[in-house]
Amino acid sequence: MRSPYLASLLAVALASPLVAGAVDPASDAAPWARLLVLPDISAVGSFAAVHDSADLARFSPREGPQGPAGKPTFLFQELELGLQGVIDPYFRANVFISFSPGGASVEEAYLTTTALPGGLQVKAGQLYAPFGRLNLLHPHTWEFADAPLARGRLLASETLGGPGVDLLWLTPLPWFAELQLAAQTTDPYDAGDGRLTGIAKLQQYLALGDAVTLGLGLSAARRDEGAGAWRDLGNVDLFLKYRPLAGRAYLTLQAELTTRRFRGHPPAAIPAEAAFQGDGANGAGGYAQLAWRQDTWFGYGLRYDRAPSAGEAAPGVEQRWSAVGNWYFTEFSRLALQVAHDQRPGGASDWEAILHLEFIMGAHGAHPF
Amino acid sequence: MRTSSMTLLLAALLALPTPATAALRVVTTTEGLAALAREVAGDRASVESLSRGVQDPHFVDANPMLAVKLRDADLLVDVGLDLEVGWLPPLVNQSRNAAIQPGGPRRLTAASAIQVLDVPTGVVDRSRGDLHPGGNPHFLADPRRAAQVARAIAARLAELDPTGAAVYQARSAAFTARLEAALAGWRAQLAPLAGRKLFTHHRTLSYFLDWTGLVSAGEMEPRPGTPPPSSHLAELVTLARKEGIRACVVENYYDTKADALVARRVGGTVVSIPGDVGGDPAAASYLAWIDLLVQRISAAVR
Repeated sequence: MRSPYLASLLAVALASPLVAGAVDPASDAAPWARLLVLPDISAVGSFAAVHDSADLARFSPREGPQGPAGKPTFLFQELELGLQGVIDPYFRANVFISFSPGGASVEEAYLTTTALPGGLQVKAGQLYAPFGRLNLLHPHTWEFADAPLARGRLLASETLGGPGVDLLWLTPLPWFAELQLAAQTTDPYDAGDGRLTGIAKLQQYLALGDAVTLGLGLSAARRDEGAGAWRDLGNVDLFLKYRPLAGRAYLTLQAELTTRRFRGHPPAAIPAEAAFQGDGANGAGGYAQLAWRQDTWFGYGLRYDRAPSAGEAAPGVEQRWSAVGNWYFTEFSRLALQVAHDQRPGGASDWEAILHLEFIMGAHGAHPF
Repeated sequence: MRTSSMTLLLAALLALPTPATAALRVVTTTEGLAALAREVAGDRASVESLSRGVQDPHFVDANPMLAVKLRDADLLVDVGLDLEVGWLPPLVNQSRNAAIQPGGPRRLTAASAIQVLDVPTGVVDRSRGDLHPGGNPHFLADPRRAAQVARAIAARLAELDPTGAAVYQARSAAFTARLEAALAGWRAQLAPLAGRKLFTHHRTLSYFLDWTGLVSAGEMEPRPGTPPPSSHLAELVTLARKEGIRACVVENYYDTKADALVARRVGGTVVSIPGDVGGDPAAASYLAWIDLLVQRISAAVR
């Protein structure tokens, strides 16, 4: 099919007085085409220098860059190796391997169907759970240098995910409406073991004129906790983006509310991380952030987040205010300076400063939306 | 209450887009490609561009709303050469439209129809900026290459809609004839200016310069996608004074601060041009866009 097309194109093109030069059908405009059987290979490195005024491991345990109280510290955070490509006429594959001071782990390694009818798609393998917004994004696409507290305290220490199957259906509605149903073995924060989890998510995007897009997601998950007990997770995420068509500037508002409720637990079975909470095993938290990309080179953000306190902090709600400035040297490297103030129950508070350096090497990835 | 809700629902359903009467639904990545598709398809296809003419085509958002348009596409025409690498692949994957995957029967990459310029040689890495390894993707600014792309679109439409093949061929020929007539006028206007030099902001005008005979003396960006340091701008100012360069041509989606600084220092002008069809009210069609480029740039280098 392709060859006759190119041959006829060549014949027509050569017959035209407008042609500047002969079309080379063999080149197909991609001199490296013979190499395309290789997957797209990329590496994302992230490093930080941090200063914390409090002992976070004791009073505010969390993932993300942190150091001993009062001692500026340099950190190697992560090197993420990505391999992405087409497997055969039916599947694509995405593999992300994380190297960190804690060791190497497969963050994601999954197949995605490319040819199912009816708006259907299936992902299978090791993958992030379709739950909320931030949980599906790799850290280098975040505006901030770390995750909101609620993600670690209510979902998973890093990302809620695991081996399983995710069925996606892009509905035939005139706006973007996608329903996902997943079954995965997940290991949430301090749960200590992987158990079957059912997850459902409805994600919608609506265009409000040429410059504004509204996204709304609803997610729910139920995890088998054994002995007739369940962990129920719920999430609402809101995303509003204003980007004038011309230029690179944009403004985004992003917010998520996450709830966790344990059902059917005898008291002894309440997970360890629930022990610090004043309201028992159940909890709620979330964040709201405003990000402004000024131009190609600079962006700024403000975030408020709240989550159940943890560690040796008094039971209650921990609140955090963060401000970040991003300097994008190019599309492939950035330096972020983030300052955060934590307010823990009982009046204790602390400050944190993070200088975060990031690079992206290799294949050009998609711009985050 | 229930009645009013039903009325609202009915109104909303009636407001949904109705199935197009055109034989094919063509989606393009840029307005320039859409303009060419409209020229050759006429009423037989509905044509829609994912980006607008005022947008930088390198940095269109991978907005999931665009995946909905791709879901229903009978033909996707993209530029290629990695112009859309930051946003089109995830949208195509999201669309569930297997036929528009790269190499698919309903995917036409326009770059495959033309001879590409600025293919980097030697070491190709990002120390040289955000290069397009396959060559320069801004080829629609050359009407000769646009004619080749229009013919490629007509050929693909004829494959997908054989009953309309004669229409596509006739419309493509008519468009080529109008383009040739316009080219004669533009050539006459540009001939005395051959060899005149100008600055561009990004290397977007290689193909335009190739057919007009004008010459680029350099770009504001020292390397593609990197900001111009003051030392680079100082070099451009020195060069401009030495060689009498007065025109700094910049697409209207770029920040013009660097261009304005150089122009001010040498007593030149910043020539703002639309980067694509629709990027200016006076550039509503492909011919109007090229005519506008010719008029503005030739006036600045004269």
